[in-house]
Amino acid sequence: MKYVKKVLGEDLRQYTMVVALAALIIIFNIASGGKMITSSNFQNLISGNAYVLVLALGMLMVIVIGQIDLSVGSVAGFASMVMAITARQFNLPWYIAILIALVIGMIAGAWQGFFLSRLGIPGFITTLGGMMIFRGGVIWISNSISVPVPSELKWFGAGYLPEWGPAFTGMNNSTLLLGIIAIAVYVTAQIKKFNHSGDVTGKKEEFWPYAVRIGIVSAVIGYATWLFGSGRVGTSFPIPGLILVILIILYYLITERTSFGRHVYAVGGNKAAAELSGVNVKRTYFLTMLNMSLLAAVAGILFVGRSTAAGPADGTSWEMDAIASVFIGGASVSGGVGTVIATMVGGLVMAVLNNGLMLMGVGADKTQVIKGFVLLAAVAFDVYNKKHRG
Amino acid sequence: MSDGYILQMKNITKTFPGVKALSDVTLEVSEASIHAICGENGAGKSTLMKVLSGVYPYGSYDGEIIFQGKKMTFKNIKDSERAGIVIIHQELTMIPELSITENIFMGNEIVEKGLINWEKERKKTRELLEEVGLHLDPDAIIKNLGVGQQQLVEIAKALSKNVRVLILDEPTSSLNESDSENLLRLMLGLKKQGITCIMISHKLNEIAAVSDYVTVIRDGKTVDGYAVEAGRVDENKIIRAMVGREIENRYPEHTPKIGEVILEVSDWSVEDAKVPGKMLCKNSAFYVRAGEIVGFAGLMGAGRTELMRSLFGKNMGIFRGGKMKIEGREVRINSVREAIKNKIAYVPEDRKGLGLNLLDTIRKTVVSANLDVIKTKGLLDFDKERAASEKYRDSLKIKCRDVGVGVNTLSGGNQQKVVLSKWMFTEPDILILDEPTRGIDVGAKYEIYKLIHELADQGKAIILVSSELPELLGMADRIYTIFEGRITGEISAKEADQEILMKKMTITA
Amino acid sequence: MMKAKKVLSLLMTAVLAAGVLTGCGGGRGTEDAAQTADTPEAAEETAEAGSAEDAEPEEAAEEASAGGGIVGVALPWLGTQNWAEAEVMFKEQLEAAGYEAIIQAADQKVPQQQQQIESMIENGAQVIVVGPVDGSQLGSVLEKAKDAGVYVIGYDRLLENTTGVDGVVQFGSVKTGELQAQALLQGLEELKGEAPYNIELFGGGPADPNAPNFFTGAMSVLQPLIDDGTLVVVSGQTDFTQCATVDWDNSKAQSRMDAILSGNYSDIEIDGVLSPNDGIARAIITSCENAGQPIPVVSGLDAENESVEWVWSGRQYSTVAKPTNALVAETVSIIDSLLSGNGMPATDVTADNGVIDVPVYELPPVVVTKDNAKEVFADDPDRMALLTD
Repeated sequence: MKYVKKVLGEDLRQYTMVVALAALIIIFNIASGGKMITSSNFQNLISGNAYVLVLALGMLMVIVIGQIDLSVGSVAGFASMVMAITARQFNLPWYIAILIALVIGMIAGAWQGFFLSRLGIPGFITTLGGMMIFRGGVIWISNSISVPVPSELKWFGAGYLPEWGPAFTGMNNSTLLLGIIAIAVYVTAQIKKFNHSGDVTGKKEEFWPYAVRIGIVSAVIGYATWLFGSGRVGTSFPIPGLILVILIILYYLITERTSFGRHVYAVGGNKAAAELSGVNVKRTYFLTMLNMSLLAAVAGILFVGRSTAAGPADGTSWEMDAIASVFIGGASVSGGVGTVIATMVGGLVMAVLNNGLMLMGVGADKTQVIKGFVLLAAVAFDVYNKKHRG
Repeated sequence: MSDGYILQMKNITKTFPGVKALSDVTLEVSEASIHAICGENGAGKSTLMKVLSGVYPYGSYDGEIIFQGKKMTFKNIKDSERAGIVIIHQELTMIPELSITENIFMGNEIVEKGLINWEKERKKTRELLEEVGLHLDPDAIIKNLGVGQQQLVEIAKALSKNVRVLILDEPTSSLNESDSENLLRLMLGLKKQGITCIMISHKLNEIAAVSDYVTVIRDGKTVDGYAVEAGRVDENKIIRAMVGREIENRYPEHTPKIGEVILEVSDWSVEDAKVPGKMLCKNSAFYVRAGEIVGFAGLMGAGRTELMRSLFGKNMGIFRGGKMKIEGREVRINSVREAIKNKIAYVPEDRKGLGLNLLDTIRKTVVSANLDVIKTKGLLDFDKERAASEKYRDSLKIKCRDVGVGVNTLSGGNQQKVVLSKWMFTEPDILILDEPTRGIDVGAKYEIYKLIHELADQGKAIILVSSELPELLGMADRIYTIFEGRITGEISAKEADQEILMKKMTITA
Repeated sequence: MMKAKKVLSLLMTAVLAAGVLTGCGGGRGTEDAAQTADTPEAAEETAEAGSAEDAEPEEAAEEASAGGGIVGVALPWLGTQNWAEAEVMFKEQLEAAGYEAIIQAADQKVPQQQQQIESMIENGAQVIVVGPVDGSQLGSVLEKAKDAGVYVIGYDRLLENTTGVDGVVQFGSVKTGELQAQALLQGLEELKGEAPYNIELFGGGPADPNAPNFFTGAMSVLQPLIDDGTLVVVSGQTDFTQCATVDWDNSKAQSRMDAILSGNYSDIEIDGVLSPNDGIARAIITSCENAGQPIPVVSGLDAENESVEWVWSGRQYSTVAKPTNALVAETVSIIDSLLSGNGMPATDVTADNGVIDVPVYELPPVVVTKDNAKEVFADDPDRMALLTD
């Protein structure tokens, strides 16, 4: 046990969900006769759920500041519908279309942020209003009819990295390159960390835990690279997945390594104390809500890219999936607690459940029931753990 | 009844995983007495009371509880309350939006034919309020009462349950002097009616004033116990027993090195944001010099905290004029951020409510008011963060396993040190300390006093707000008194004594 | 105890690692033959020719003879009788024909359906029958199916905005609308005396490509009569967008009818209502009854059990039967043709889905009124049982 702790860190509980996720993948793989762990299924899993995970990134921050955003699905639908309609009407190129969607997302976010931060109306109510306003807006402007989006957008929602270079690798070389870069970045970071390990405490750590960590992570990344890269020719790690990964890195940095991120946790943990530490609480509220709706627009773009059309019902109940991901990832309902990585794991647990049950041919009705139980079980486990700490 | 004791707790041992919280503790309480329990924070006083009131059910501890001659096996608080043992917690547990009557009868409603008989409840409430010396409308809403009044309502509630033993956990910690006196008088009154009080307290003067017997607990063991002669208690003896070492002086020796005026405030006025027209500060004027510790004395509600928070970036009330000069130049500070930039720091009185994010770790808390300093290329640098927190852990002797642990795992004294670290890390010139030693045990207090002296010696201007007059007299170089939002006096600490201060704190000059 | 748990969790991690190392999945190189038709031109060719002989037949035939083949059926939901029936009938008929059937319903959610179709591809389906939630939002998923060499057949609704569709089986939707309107007129003449008649119009869910077609078909019959004053739409709402019922939601239709009645019919009687399906028809009738109106002549569609009873008892004037049985049978016969290597059967009708012309296999629907109910359902023992006196 002591050795395991050296490798993984003191708090092993944070790996509970990772283990659960791995167990689910393995169980489903066995139950479905090996259909779970295949290149194409993992590609589907990522491109089919990227939009929910993107929403969960924003929702995490909203929940950490102690609020909730019920409008994300409607905002996603609205932003992508406005994009689809204007692009079609004025024959706009795809990049202008995307810009329009993002701007709409930001305006929607500023709207919600204004009511929350300036007028002090609770986020639940502000965004309940937003949910109705933007959902109504989608149906209104679309006349309830789906509108095709510029075909280039399909690349964002369902595209793959290019094929190039030698064929002997047996993989998509773009994916291979990404995998190699990921491993290289991790290895350098670990070695750098090891070299600095004695700087503060004065006591150099042992190297072997670093080596084990490097070994494990490299193996996982390597395997994932092979899995995603060795699918049918023309497929690779999906573009929406790549966008998601970039956003995960970005939001990891924002939440962990910037003042704004610290302020988000401070406001959620103790608003009054944050205020007395020089945190601009109103600004933090405002930016968090703005960011959420911006990400909702990104999610909308990814989704309509995959669907090739914006529909009037797009985004319905997405907020619930995003919220569930955040809570399965261990965030606290009262705010202040939650991390980007855990949220992504939480989202993947939901996604794998969905996917695995579908592969097994379980109906949508029962899938819903099972997801509900998993949400309760995950949160109950978390609460139990916190109660029995130490 | 065995030997005149109403309550005996014999050889109580309570273990938590890995920790022996109580070991072989014995407590014997005479009928109709006031029994004080002293001990440092974490000594096991609260655990003992939780065992007594059934929060830790029978079976989860060893030893026995004999109450009125019978062995008790409480499974929960309801059981102990039914037997006549009621605990009043440090944090009040009433529902702020409901009336006094509703709170007193919460869970115990007088029900007739399935409906609540409000008339009877009100009548009974009025009687109970009389008994505790409150002249209030039974329909008054709790949140509109002062803290002292709420405390008394809690006691009235306990009386409604036919209490035999009343446990008060730090009953005066959030009360001002007059409310405290009131409460102590009430305890004496209850004693006359035959009700036994167990009082957990740090305040030795209060113990001396009312209690009949003192039990001192240290490290989960009873270490001392003796009867108190009326109104006289050997404070040093108790302190010695509590901390297990001699504290020859409760306030460290210090020779001030006073320099130029750093902060000068004139004509400062603040209006209450909630009650229009009510002034929290009226034309306040004062100054603080480098290396000087300036005390602010005032009763609760006098406007001390309001003045300080208003200075700290207009954080409280509505600013109604006034000038602030720092090192001679006039500054206008409109947010906490600007205040921090102008090298002002404010350590709030309510540590858990305002000073800390209890979800954070020590290292995150220490740097939280000055994040820009630990950035490398625009991103927070965890190495710098760790280095900063380790530095304060060493210099302030913060007791913790690692700076990565949550601040919620620390004792009150260590938490306060973390808060101080956080503000020292902003490298302030002006440090406002609002009740810096509240709820902290004697040993930790001493360390904090030494720290304050060190900071003063570094040339910082220090404002010390405190409700404890001995603390002000022992620590400050100069003291201002405040009454109803007005500065009513300025006096050198050498010339002051408690009587002089109290006079200025209760009447306008 | 705690320790045991930790050990267990570590063991599980180890198992995963083992799974990782032994390697599962990864199909590069094994299926190369299947992904030739990748360019739009090739796709169009395939679609127009009505078959995909170039790459598939051998493989498909081989698997068909081995185990009958796997067929995926993606339905939008099971909330109405015709879809619930479709689920049962597909299962029976596909299994009877020796195929393995994967049937899933998407609870009216587009992302759900996208993922279900993907999982069918994963499960090795050779043909996927899609009753879409929204016919235009499955583009990239269906193209993925096409790339994987899977045939896609639209069921009951057109699949728009994608090249990944090989054909659509449906009842003529414009024709259906015409029949509904004719039944309405017939009922008005029969029951409501002399013209003019006060009527109202209802459309189906706008996301369903059939809905506007029903409405267009119906209006081609009704519009001339509205113009000459025989029919009066009292509310004045005659555009499809005004009349549409989002998601085919009965309760929305009922609210709209309530509003129309209270706003326009306080002193006049309503004679007839064009309803796009049975659920909405019943909602309309209920609304009229609640408002104290005499029951108007109301059309319908789907011949749901309850509406068959209502038609029989005279509460609802007519419905249109689109025998699910026939539609499923037609679909299965196409599947037979595909999996035996004969490609898509020939058809004259095509529909423009926005990208390509899709071959359409249309079946004629049948109007049901009280007079002909017993003839129409002669072969349907379930519904015959409802027609008791």
